[in-house]
Amino acid sequence: MKAMLIDATRCIGCRACQVACKEWNERKAEPTTFFAGKGYQNPRDLSAETWTLITYNEVKTNGKFDWVFGKQQCFHCLVPGCATACPVAALVKLDSGPVVYDASICLGCRYCQLACPFKIPRFEWDKAIPEITKCTLCADRVEAGMEPSCSKVCPTDAIVFGDRNKLIAEAESRIASNPREYIHQVYGRDEAGGTCVMHLSNVPFGDIGFDTSIPMHALADNVAPAMKPIPYVIGGLGIVLGATSWIIHRRMEKDSTQNNGGSE
Amino acid sequence: MVRKEFSKLTTGMKVLWIIAIAGAIVMVYRWVFGLGAVTNLSDGYPWGWWIGFDILAGIALASGGFVMAGTVHLLGREKYHVFVRPAILTALLGYLLFIFGLMVDLGRPWNLYVAIYSWHHESPMFEVAWCVMMYTTVLILEFVPLVFERYSLTKLHNLWRRFVPWVIVIMVSMFTLAMTYSFWWMLIVFVILVTWEVLMMAGIMPRDKQMPILLIMAGVIFSTMHQSSLGSIFLLSEQFIHPLWYTPILPLLFLFSAIMVAPAMVTFESLLSGRVLKHTPKLDLLSDLSRWMPYFLVIYLLAKLGDLMVRGAVSHTLSFNTQAISWWLEMLIGVITPLVLYLTPKIRTSRSGLLWSSSLVVIGLIWNRLNVAVVGMIVAEWETYFPFWAEIFITIGIFAIGLIAFRWAMDNLPIMEHHEAPST
Repeated sequence: MKAMLIDATRCIGCRACQVACKEWNERKAEPTTFFAGKGYQNPRDLSAETWTLITYNEVKTNGKFDWVFGKQQCFHCLVPGCATACPVAALVKLDSGPVVYDASICLGCRYCQLACPFKIPRFEWDKAIPEITKCTLCADRVEAGMEPSCSKVCPTDAIVFGDRNKLIAEAESRIASNPREYIHQVYGRDEAGGTCVMHLSNVPFGDIGFDTSIPMHALADNVAPAMKPIPYVIGGLGIVLGATSWIIHRRMEKDSTQNNGGSE
Repeated sequence: MVRKEFSKLTTGMKVLWIIAIAGAIVMVYRWVFGLGAVTNLSDGYPWGWWIGFDILAGIALASGGFVMAGTVHLLGREKYHVFVRPAILTALLGYLLFIFGLMVDLGRPWNLYVAIYSWHHESPMFEVAWCVMMYTTVLILEFVPLVFERYSLTKLHNLWRRFVPWVIVIMVSMFTLAMTYSFWWMLIVFVILVTWEVLMMAGIMPRDKQMPILLIMAGVIFSTMHQSSLGSIFLLSEQFIHPLWYTPILPLLFLFSAIMVAPAMVTFESLLSGRVLKHTPKLDLLSDLSRWMPYFLVIYLLAKLGDLMVRGAVSHTLSFNTQAISWWLEMLIGVITPLVLYLTPKIRTSRSGLLWSSSLVVIGLIWNRLNVAVVGMIVAEWETYFPFWAEIFITIGIFAIGLIAFRWAMDNLPIMEHHEAPST
C-alpha cells in the first residue's frame, strides 16, 4: 500500500503543493483575505476547492519563535470512517492506498463528514447539484504508477511518496538518528487505526494544527458490535414472534370455543 | 373554483394549507439554490435540525404503528384494537413525510434509489435506508385493507390476503442478504418464515383474523432494526458527541425509547384528534394502556443512569454548560416528571392528566433526539450550529402537509370504526 510522509522540519512553506494540487485536480482559485492569528496562511481552511493547505504556525522552538508548517489534507485512513459510513459505497478505499469518491452514486447525506475524525470531507453547500470533495491522493496518478502532484513538486522533499511500511521505517530512522530534532511520534501511524498520510514534526502536533484527540483505533470498530448481531436478531425475532403468535392465538381460539360453544 | 373550495374549509385547515404552501415554496428555493441558502449547516456541522427533529424524533414517534400492531395481532391484546388503525395511519404518514423530508435534507436526493443496488452492509445508514424502504412498504400493505373496506373491493382484499405473506417472505429474505452478504443467512430466514406460512396454510398454526402474521412480524423486525440503527449511526462520530450521550449502547437506548414512546404517542394523538374531530376517545382504555408507562420509564431511567455510571460520565451532569442543562431538562421533562404523573392514580385516569403526561414523554423523546444530534454535537474550531429559520419553517410545512393528509384520511377512510374483514 502506498503512502505519504510529510516532514515539517523540511517544509519551507512555499505552497507549491497547494498550487500543484489545484492544477492537477482542476480546482478553482478562491478569493481569500488576511485573518487574525495565522499570519500568512492562505486560504484559511480546506474547502470544496482547496484539498490541501499549508498551515502557518508561529511556535516557540529553542527559546525563539519560528514558523513551523503543517500540511492539511485527507489522511487516507487504512479503514476510513467515511467509507464505513457511506450507505452506498460512494467512498471506497483502493488497495493502492487512496480513498476515492464517486459522485454519480452519492446521496449527499453527508454522513462521511460526521464519520471523519479529521474533519476533512467538504460539501458544496451553495450548489443545486452538490458533491462531496476531498483530496484523492491523486488516485488517477497513483493508479498509473506516478506519485501525487503535491509530493512531485515539493522542492525540499518534505513530502515523500512510497510504500507505507518503508515510509514508517524511514520516519522512525529519521527520529532515531536525530532524536533531539523530532517529536517522537509518527502522526498517522496509529491514529484512527493507521493512515496513509503520516507526519513528522519538531514541535508538538497540536501546535501545528493537528488534532491530538483522534481515537487510536479504526472507527469501524465502534459500529461493528452494533452491526454484527443483525442476522441473529432477524432470525431470532422470526422464530420468537411466530411462536408467540401461535401460542397466543391458539389460546384465544380455545377461549372463544369454550365461551361461545364452538361458534363465533 | 379553488377559491370556493378554500373558503369552505375551517379556519384551522385554512391556516394549515397556507403553511403547507409557504413551506413548499421554501423547499423549491432550497432545491434551486442549494442547502447553503436555507440552512446554517456547515462542513463542521453537516447535520442539524432536520436530522434531529424530522428524522430521529419523527421516526421514533411513528413507532406506534409496529408496537400497537404487534401488541394486538401478535400478542393478542384485542382490547387495544381501536388504536391499531390510527397508529398505522400515523406511522405511514410519518414515514412518507420522512422520505419527503429526506428529499430536502439529502444533497443528491435523485440518487436515493442507488441504495437498492449499491450495497454497503457495514454502514448503519445503509441499514436504515433499507429498513425505511421495506417498512414503508409494510405500512402500505397494512394500510390498504382500509381502502379495500371503504370501497368494498372484496376481490382485491382476498388477493392481498393470499399474496402478502409471500411478498413479506421475499422482502425479509432480501433484506437479510443485503445486511449479511450471506446466502446461508438468507436461507435460514427464508426457511423460518416459510415454515410459519406453510403451518398456517395447513391449518396447524392459527391465523390472525385481520392481518397476516408475517406482515405484522415484518413490521416488528424492520422497526427493531432501524429504530436501533438510527442510534448506531452516531457511533461513528465518537469524537464529536458529548459524553452525556455518546455511548456504545446508543442503539439499544434508541430502540427502547422508541417503544416506550408508543403508548404515550397513541394516547396523545387519540386525545388530541378526539378534540379536533369531535369524537370521544376511550378514556378507560387509554388509562389502561398507560399502566405500562411507569415500567418503561423506570427501566429507561435506570438504563440511562447506569450507562452514565459505567462509563464514568456522571460528573458531566454536574457541570454548568448548555449540554448539562439540556440533559437535565431532557430527563426532568421526558422521564422523571411523567413518571411521577403516571404513578398518581388520579392523574392516570383523568383526561387532562393523561394528555399532560403523554405529551411530556413525547416532548422528552424529541428533546433526547435533538440532544444527540444537535446539542450534544460539538465540533471543535467550528462555529456552533443553530438552526436557520428556514430549516424550521420547512419542517413545519411538511408537518402541515401531514396534518392535512391525516385529516383527509380520518374523514374518508374507516380509521376509527373497525369492521371485521370479509372472510375468505
